[in-house]
Amino acid sequence: MTALALPLPVRSAWRRWRPGAAAWTTLGVFLLFAVLVPRFASSGNLVNVLRVAAILCVAACGQAIVLVLGGIEFSFGSSAALASVVGVLAVPWLGPAGGLAAGGAVVIAIGALNGALIAGFGLPPFVVTLGMLMAAAGAAASLVGGQPIDAPPSAAFAWPAAGSVATIPVPILLGAAAVTVLHALLSRSRLGRLWYLAGANPVAARLSGIAVGRVTFLGYLVAGAFCAVTAVVLTSRVGSGQPNLAPNLPFESIAACAIGGIPLAGGEGRAHQVVCGVLVIAMMNNAVVLLNFPIAAQQLVMAVVIIGAVLLQNAGSLPVMLRRALTRRPNA
Amino acid sequence: MRTALRLLGGQRFLVAPLCLLGAVIVFAASAPEFLTLGNVSNVGAQMWVLALLAVGQMFAIVTRGFDISVGAVAALSSTIAAHAVNALGPAGLLAGPLTGLLCGTLTGFLIGFLRLQPIVATLGMMIGVRGLALLVTGDGQVVPLHDADLASWLAFDPAFGLPPADWGAIGCILLAGALLGRAVLGRRLVMLGSNPDAAHLVGIDTARTQLRAYQLCGGFAGLAGVLVLLRAGTGLPTDGAGMELQSIAAALIGGTALSGGVARVFPVVLGAAFIQAVLTGLDLQGVSPFIAQIVVGLVIVAAGFLEFALRRFQGFAFHRRSWT
Amino acid sequence: MAASLEADRIAKAFGATLALRGASLHLQPGRVHALLGENGAGKSTLVKIIVGALAPDAGALRMAGRPVVFRSVREAMAAGIVPIHQHLSLFPHLSVLENLSAFALGCTRRAAASSALLPRAEAAARLETVGLHLDLDQPVAALSLGQRQLLEIARSVGRECRVLVLDEPTAALNHSEAARLFEVVRRLCAAGTAVLFISHRLDEIDAVADDVTVLRDGRAVIAGTPRSHLSREALVRAMLGTAVAAATRHLPEPGAPVLVAAGLRPGPGDAPADCVVRAGEVVGLAGLVGSGALELAAALAGARPAAGQLHVAGRRLPPGDRQQAVALGVGYVPGDRHAEGLFPVLSALQNASACSTRGLAPAGVLSPAREAARMLPWLRRMKLHPFLPAMKARTFSGGNQQKLLMARNLAIDGLRVLVVLEPTRGVDIAARETIHDAIADIARQGVAVVLATSDLDEAMALAHRVLVVRHGRIAAEILRGAARTNLLDALAGQAAA
Repeated sequence: MTALALPLPVRSAWRRWRPGAAAWTTLGVFLLFAVLVPRFASSGNLVNVLRVAAILCVAACGQAIVLVLGGIEFSFGSSAALASVVGVLAVPWLGPAGGLAAGGAVVIAIGALNGALIAGFGLPPFVVTLGMLMAAAGAAASLVGGQPIDAPPSAAFAWPAAGSVATIPVPILLGAAAVTVLHALLSRSRLGRLWYLAGANPVAARLSGIAVGRVTFLGYLVAGAFCAVTAVVLTSRVGSGQPNLAPNLPFESIAACAIGGIPLAGGEGRAHQVVCGVLVIAMMNNAVVLLNFPIAAQQLVMAVVIIGAVLLQNAGSLPVMLRRALTRRPNA
Repeated sequence: MRTALRLLGGQRFLVAPLCLLGAVIVFAASAPEFLTLGNVSNVGAQMWVLALLAVGQMFAIVTRGFDISVGAVAALSSTIAAHAVNALGPAGLLAGPLTGLLCGTLTGFLIGFLRLQPIVATLGMMIGVRGLALLVTGDGQVVPLHDADLASWLAFDPAFGLPPADWGAIGCILLAGALLGRAVLGRRLVMLGSNPDAAHLVGIDTARTQLRAYQLCGGFAGLAGVLVLLRAGTGLPTDGAGMELQSIAAALIGGTALSGGVARVFPVVLGAAFIQAVLTGLDLQGVSPFIAQIVVGLVIVAAGFLEFALRRFQGFAFHRRSWT
Repeated sequence: MAASLEADRIAKAFGATLALRGASLHLQPGRVHALLGENGAGKSTLVKIIVGALAPDAGALRMAGRPVVFRSVREAMAAGIVPIHQHLSLFPHLSVLENLSAFALGCTRRAAASSALLPRAEAAARLETVGLHLDLDQPVAALSLGQRQLLEIARSVGRECRVLVLDEPTAALNHSEAARLFEVVRRLCAAGTAVLFISHRLDEIDAVADDVTVLRDGRAVIAGTPRSHLSREALVRAMLGTAVAAATRHLPEPGAPVLVAAGLRPGPGDAPADCVVRAGEVVGLAGLVGSGALELAAALAGARPAAGQLHVAGRRLPPGDRQQAVALGVGYVPGDRHAEGLFPVLSALQNASACSTRGLAPAGVLSPAREAARMLPWLRRMKLHPFLPAMKARTFSGGNQQKLLMARNLAIDGLRVLVVLEPTRGVDIAARETIHDAIADIARQGVAVVLATSDLDEAMALAHRVLVVRHGRIAAEILRGAARTNLLDALAGQAAA
């Protein structure tokens, strides 16, 4: 009964923020690299880590919303590619800022289309976003004949990736803003609560008077908006329309959420878990580069970390499973 | 009503042939050279890599899973087989399917026994296997075959109308058909996808059966890698990106149900043929191959719609029955 | 003759609730043994223990005199105990022949499926034993539910089937299908199988049972007595007991009509139902499983599409529109807690506030403080235990999960109508009291309550009047204070006619 001594909002806030497995993993990885990897803990390098993490983080925030809804979103990568191509092509008409905005609008439109197909017709998210992944990639490539096109050099175009506000790089600001917005949405907004409810049990949500279809649609739409920010920063960074801009974006964003401990079954997931997962991926990528590992080894390490981190989430049941795996089946 | 239901059940397998027919008619009407012997055999020659991948993918999907690492596994298999052939001669080609089998075993272990979700397990495998492929080739260098004649004989010299490698692919696909349709393992895969609880009740070792599904998937990806090797004459460590998605597309267009328990090999092959026909046909017309990608993407979404329509219509049929 | 299966002095507790307190059941080969008991008497627990789905805390299972321990349903099936229940273990995508051969396919070490399949003649013969004439290559998805049930029996009898457990097998069957099932049961008995038959329908018990065991409060009050020695009244008395006398709660005088249904038809086979529920009135809806009572209640709450008209406090409610229903103040506690009610991975507090998010978040901003302030009183009032509102709902006991669903609906802004389905199914006594108190309370505050339940005590104790639903139509109305046997007769007595 001592637990009741604290007023409930405080206790629930503590529960929400209690550092979970994901946070400890992140801290452990950080300390490990800080000790083992030379130059890792220098401030210049850490800013670099953050800068890379921030770009992925924004898209992973969008992915987290979709995962909370019990869905999955594969179309991020190629919609970002389409955004960069459209953005660069639009620069002559709309100017650099307008071009980037047009690119972002494309990503949001694709998110809305995904949401409409999934929510309106009950199509499986896997199939819809996979199809959209291919269609958007094809559209991006066909617009520019498969070749990258350069954007006319301009400060405005480069600003989202290279600019800074009060010495803080813009991507890091955007990443922080995205996490803040995600946290506010998930824990302090009605819409976020409805995402949790619809993801945890869609039937019960419908019977509780929730417009599950509309809520799902809005989820994919907002996820698209997050990805649009990532797409704008990536386009600005490469300074060109790349039909093959970020092929691994959907996979990395899913991996970041999974490492952070967001289950893919829906109804669970918080902003800080996204941050943890993204940081682990970014630190690892950075460390293997500092250690001069070949790309091959980087990818192997990444694979081990993804699978290992998700296995760790269910560490409790692992011994049972292993025993079952290693014994012959009974009464065959 | 019974026959109607069976027809409805069968309709999902009509999508692939109808799509293929539609593509052929459209392309033949707009570009007469599409139906020339040379072009048809061109499509035929190119489709087998995708067909092998899609058939493997089908084994994973029928148990309610999927495998997005098949493209990477095919690439790794092609490079390892190239090294093995250079060292051992033609027998080294076997290293391809063996590599695939090993990768599939690991994936299947993660999914069947350690209960990882297919997306996490196969995503990790995809990234790791890509890394391995780079590792065995010294950062992405292609591995040329020393004996280029062997490869070109196997892949391009027709014997009985088709090159030996294509005959091999057809043989493997027929084997897959027999496995799915006539073997106990195939029945168990379908049972597992159809009703996992009941599968456990009637004595099926579900974890082991899932392992087998991913082993088959990996093995077929390995075979596809060998075919890539023979056709290109070099092991390609970075090829196969995008193939995983096309293979899922071909399997879905071929009527395989993501919800498990429904699959046939022949329609899946036709699904692969359709995708290849679209790619080749648009290429012939001077349309960029990227438009073809759009078409394939839209066809995947349309396949999802088919499922939706079937559900609607079957619900309707059920209602009709309870009226009478 | 040695009994096929003896369950001896079985005890089982769930937390503080004793579901079984030394119940015994002896099944003889070649006889149909009916197991009767009210909801909560321990029937389903005993059945689960017999089929291997639960392990007993104390007591022994013996087959043909030898002690046996089942760690899973699979082990029990391997020993020859075959359960047949609602959610069938058939493979809808496979053919009839393959389903008949499922056990062989699961266990064989051969490679070719054809060698594991039954010979077609034998398969046809097995179908013949249950009176089915089917195309062996037809997919099971195309069969009716009755045909599937018979097919599952056929699949099992081919193996060594020593005990057949039929758990409410006729719930989803029509009359001729049920008759066919009984015929099959008798034929199997003649071949030496012991049959355990669980049903609420007394006329079915009359039709097939040789022996009867009646459970009450976890004990067998009639243990294996031949049916011919018992009158129907004796059975009913044994099931209800004399000490049940549930505390009848004070109910208010009904006020103005709130919920008005005109010509409401939840399913195409149902008769149009008209009913009026007044403010402060509790209307019971009673019916056996499959009678349509639950469906009618769901339709009244706007939780199920239906033909006909619904009005709440004079305003039209389109049937099947839960959004509109909640806005009009219609609460709905579904019968299937896990599938339709609970958000298992969310906290108790979030479960409780699921219907009230609009009121908690004006302008879309949710304040945890306001949420706690509004919802905690409801959780306290429902006596949530342990009182940990931040704990995930799936970690609570069934009774407390049910309290969460009640709290969620009681908290709806401007609640006018509360439709409750099976509110105390699988719930311990204390939780049951709490839930009943809450229902009576909310009625006193002028809410119109519809209470659909198969628990007759509950209906009698809480409702002003009970509408009895049979075969999709409202067949009778029993007023508060009528004898309980009237209700029982209305429910079951004429079902055979």
